[in-house]
Order: sequence, then C-alpha cells, then structure tokens
Amino acid sequence: MPQAPSFPGADLGEHFRFWPRHNEALYDRLESKHAWLEEKQARAEGRRPAGDGAIAEVDEDPLEHEMVLNIGPQHPATHGVLRCVVKLDGETIEKAVVDIGYLHRGVEKLAEHKTYQEFMPYTDRMDYLSPYSNNVAWCLAVEKLAGIEVPERAQWIRMIMCELARISSHFLWLGVGLMDAGAVSVFLWTFQGREDIYNIFDEVAGARFTVSHSRIGGLASDISPEAIRQIRAFCDKYKGVIADWEQLLNRNRIWIDRNKNVGRITAEEAIELGMTGANLRGSGVPYDVRRFEPYLRYEDVDFDIPVREDGDCLARYFVRLEEMKQSIRIIEQCLDRLPEGPIRADDAKQAYPSKEEVYYSMEGMIHDFMYTETGTTAPKGAHAYHAIESPKGELGFYLTSDGTGNPFRVRINAPSFTNLQVMEYIMEGTLLADTVILIGSIDPVMGEADK
Amino acid sequence: MRDDERNVQPKHEESDEQEVLKFHFTPVDEPREEDADRNPHAKKTTRVPEVVHALRDAFDENVIWRVETYANEDTVFVDKARIVDVCQFLREEEGFNYFVDLGGVDRFTEDDRYEVFYNLVALERQKRIRLKVRVDEADLEVPSVTDVYRAANWNERECWDMFGIRFEGHPDHRRMYMPEDFEYHPLRKEFPQLGVPGSLPLPPQTPEGELTMDPFAAAHGSKPRKSYDEPQSDVADDEE
Repeated sequence: MPQAPSFPGADLGEHFRFWPRHNEALYDRLESKHAWLEEKQARAEGRRPAGDGAIAEVDEDPLEHEMVLNIGPQHPATHGVLRCVVKLDGETIEKAVVDIGYLHRGVEKLAEHKTYQEFMPYTDRMDYLSPYSNNVAWCLAVEKLAGIEVPERAQWIRMIMCELARISSHFLWLGVGLMDAGAVSVFLWTFQGREDIYNIFDEVAGARFTVSHSRIGGLASDISPEAIRQIRAFCDKYKGVIADWEQLLNRNRIWIDRNKNVGRITAEEAIELGMTGANLRGSGVPYDVRRFEPYLRYEDVDFDIPVREDGDCLARYFVRLEEMKQSIRIIEQCLDRLPEGPIRADDAKQAYPSKEEVYYSMEGMIHDFMYTETGTTAPKGAHAYHAIESPKGELGFYLTSDGTGNPFRVRINAPSFTNLQVMEYIMEGTLLADTVILIGSIDPVMGEADK
Repeated sequence: MRDDERNVQPKHEESDEQEVLKFHFTPVDEPREEDADRNPHAKKTTRVPEVVHALRDAFDENVIWRVETYANEDTVFVDKARIVDVCQFLREEEGFNYFVDLGGVDRFTEDDRYEVFYNLVALERQKRIRLKVRVDEADLEVPSVTDVYRAANWNERECWDMFGIRFEGHPDHRRMYMPEDFEYHPLRKEFPQLGVPGSLPLPPQTPEGELTMDPFAAAHGSKPRKSYDEPQSDVADDEE
C-alpha cells in the first residue's frame, strides 16, 4: 500500500488517494475478478468455471491495449454518484466493478430512532424520482406490521398517486436516457410532463417534489375536485403525447442502433442475478408485484403487464413505455371507481385524527399529541415484509418491532441496489460508449441504492 | 353539531353496554394468536405450509428448529451450519429460484445476538418464504449462499458492512457502503446514531477551516478501539 505522507501541511505527492485501503480493495477486486463472460464461455464449453474470485490468468499485454478507467462518482452519465471501475481492452469492457455508497446516509439506522410516522419523509428521499410510491410502500409495510386497515377511498387515491409517480419516474428515465444518447429536446418535453405531475402533487399534497402525503392508516388530506380535474386532463393529454414520442422513437434509426443488442441479458441470467422491475420484465420474466401479490386494489383494476423477450436496452425501453400507458389506464379506472368515504382509519391508535377534531375537541388534541409522541405500536417481536412494485422494481420494507413506537429494525429492499448488482455483470463485454446507454436503461437511483 | 358542543360530556345514559375504548398506548407485549393469519394486508403468497412440510421431511428438527407465522407470513428458522443445504433444497426441489433479499437483525441483549434472514420467491408457484438463521456474537460466521443464489453477493457484503457478520466462502468480501478504512459496523445497536467522531475523514467546514483531525488515521496505523469489543457496563472506561 502506498504510504500516505504525514499530516497536516504535508506534500501529498503522487501517491495520494482518498481512502487508501478502500481503493486498494477495489482495484484488487478488479484484478482478481473472474469475468462473467469467461465464466459463461467456460460453462458453454463444458469446462468447470474457475469460480468467482479466483485469480484470473493475466495474459501478456505488450501493446498495452488494456487500461483501467474510473467512471464517476461525479459524472453526468452516472445519474447520481455511481462509480464504475472498468478494465478496458481497447474499447470493450473486460471487467467491471461497481462501487456504491457515495450517497449512503444510513436511513435504516435513522429509522430506529424515529416513530413510524416520523420516518416517512426519509422515504421521500430514497427514490427521489417517485417519492409517492416510497411513502405508500412504507405505510403499507407499517400497516401490515401493526394490522391497520385502510379505508377504501384512501387505497384508490394511493393507487392513483402511485401510478402518477411511476409515470413521473419513467418520464425522467426517458428524457435522461435520450439525453445520454444525444437527443436533448426530448428531455425538455418529458420535463414538461413531470411539471404537470408536480402541479397535480402540489394540488393534492401541497408539495411538488417530496410529497409525504400518505399517512399510516390513510392519507393526510382528501383529493380535491380540482385535482381530479387536473389528473383527468393529464391522462387525456399524455395519451397523445406518449403516442407522439413513440412515433418519434420506435422506428428511430439512431435510437434503435444505440439500444438494440446493448446490455443483453437472458431471462435465466436475470433471475439468477436477482434483477427486478421493468428490467426483469424486459428479459421476459413477467414478475410484477402488482400481479404476484396484489396490494391496495390492483386486483380490481384491469391492466396488462408488458413483457419483452429480448432483454436488451431496447426491450427495456419498450417495456417502460408500455408501462406508462398502462399506468394511465389504471388511473382512469381508479378515477371512475373512486368511492366516497373517509380517508383515514378512525382509530386514535392507528392514525392521526382529522384536523377538525384536533382543533375543536380535547380528545382529538390528546390523540394528536399521543400519536406524534408514540404513534402506532406493533406487538413485541412482530415482523413483516411488504413489497410494492415501485417504478424501479420491487421495493420492500422488512420491519421488526419491539413493542414500542419506534421500529426495532428496518430493512429496505431497494430495487436500484439489486439492479446495480446485475449491471456490474451486464457491463462486461459491452463497449465503453454503451455504458452510458446501459446505465440509463437500468435506471438506478442512487438515493435508493445507497440508502 | 356546533363546535362548542363537541366538548360537552355526553349525558350519562343507563345502559348495559360498556363502551370499549379503542385508544390505549400500552405496548402490546406479544402477538396475539389471531395475528398469525388475520391481517388486513395478508397475502396468499406468503403462506407456505406445504414447503415447510417438505423441509421438515428432508431435514431433521435440529435444522428446521422453528416456524413462526405472523401476518400470514411463514418464517422458517434454520440452523446456520445447514443454510446452504436448505437453500439448495428450496431452489432445486421446491422451485424457489428467485432471491429477493438478505439482511441482518441485531437483537442486542438476547442470546444468539444476530439474525440473518433470507427472502426467497418461487416465481412459478407464486410463493414467498423467509428463512432465518441465528448467529452468536462469539462466532460471527455464516456460510455464504452465493453458490446457490448468485444474487446474494451484494446483500451479504452489505450485511458484513452493517453488522460485521462474515460470510464464509463469499467471493468478494468487501464492504458495501462504507469505505474499507472504516472500523465500525454502523447498524449494530451500540453504534451511536450520530456516528463515532473521527471515524471518517471529513473535510473542514469552511474553505479556510483547519482540519481538526488526521483524516487518514487508519492509513497511519491508528486502530480505534471498537466499542463492541468492550463490556457493556464499562462506560467509564471509554470516557477516561
């Protein structure tokens, strides 16, 4: 290990590296890693693969084709703070090591010191492209743990907002993905779409971005007629707009050439490596939590789960595009079937009382105070896992309770984390220029992957 | 009802029915019996009696030593030495081909302090199962399941990073989030929420600000004492 010079005020020299041991380990791994490609070849030829982590034979490289390249963590194409250390042979990536944790805030630790309700704003900041689905995922997990029933109207509204969040996330994916491929104008159009969704969130929740609108046992506030009008207008408008985008892209020579056969992964590999969400469905596995174990009212609405067999970036593009259309379909059905009724559980132990109660009755105020103080409690030793299909894939919370108002342990199963692990494998064998497309197509969010 | 009428106590009416107040904040000590399957969010996928049965047939009761059900979710407790065999069995015989999640739980003051759970899915059968192993503080090693489920790779690294549980036979045993130079395992209960001062090199707060500590203590050979090696009661020892 290179010796770091003494500190402070020392000349740091050419050996200076930020976390010496960390980088040592990273480069060691890159050196010793047995590339996924080699392994696949060995398996195809019937040889036994040397095993992951075995020291790969290093060929002589007199012409110096090989180089090690750091992409990120600060790089616009990495969509956050993702660091990929790749070993290149010419322009082809031979091996890749993905290093994450540059946005690690330890939300799992923080959650242990908060009440269940207090933790919800933190979930907004995990997958910050679709805060509403994280709120709902968290609330559903807590409700399962504590056995809280949610009124029907709240469930339908949650579904509408979750699907809006999915569209908003996919809009960003499309715009940024195209910008990575060199088409800047679409980015502006999809951001116009996101702006329209922000306005709906603003009307519904009072916040545009980090909404925190869902509550344990229901919702913070009911949806207004104006919001319903906005959502209907959005659905009507964007059916056409998405069709326009399809017309621009589906047969676009440049877009297809950049995406087709890039980052291909078969269904078996995707399952083996634990891929999730639209990426998994792009490989032909129809795994969608909304179908697999329907939550909220997803079993009552009619929608398709788009699946593509190819498993390349183009397939993932088609899957996500189709998903947006299906989301609009779900939203329209929800709006038609939205029942009247309360929006929060009527139990002081399970949900906040309404503001009228808090302001005008003594009990209401006490309940509000107690709920803020202690909040929902679950039995001691209870543990439950609840997953939803977030825009990125299966987002699950595994909660353990110790009988108090704070969760004893919160485990977040973040889809971006799972997908990034697969990306490390997919990157091997692709061209360096395609990694930009590939990262965009996998659609990771570092806030979620790093927790 | 007018607003000022809300606060008025209702007139006492003679009736046999006692109103049951739902509102109480005493923590529920143990899950009630009906919590096992009655839950408004219960899913069909999470109840797997036939798989549990098959597991009990294939392994003896020291290996599958307990089955817990809460909120209609089955959790199978497995002896940690045999976890790879159980995973292998579930994958080959029972179709649990999709690995979803793995993580640790620090149960602190209990015996067998740590728990590692495995969340598996059978895509064809539409079933979910959760396995759990208990890990004693004195022997923080669990056999790695990466040979069976390749997807467990990063999750096991994360578990090592956060809890300090080693996974035997893991191909790439690095930390997941924290830098390799970091000396602690943050999700352990005794790790303070605000962190350990000086454990990470942080930049000065202002451009002209002076560095208050050696940012590369680990590289200079300094080994901070680990709080989890110390007995619980010895708080004074730490403060000097």
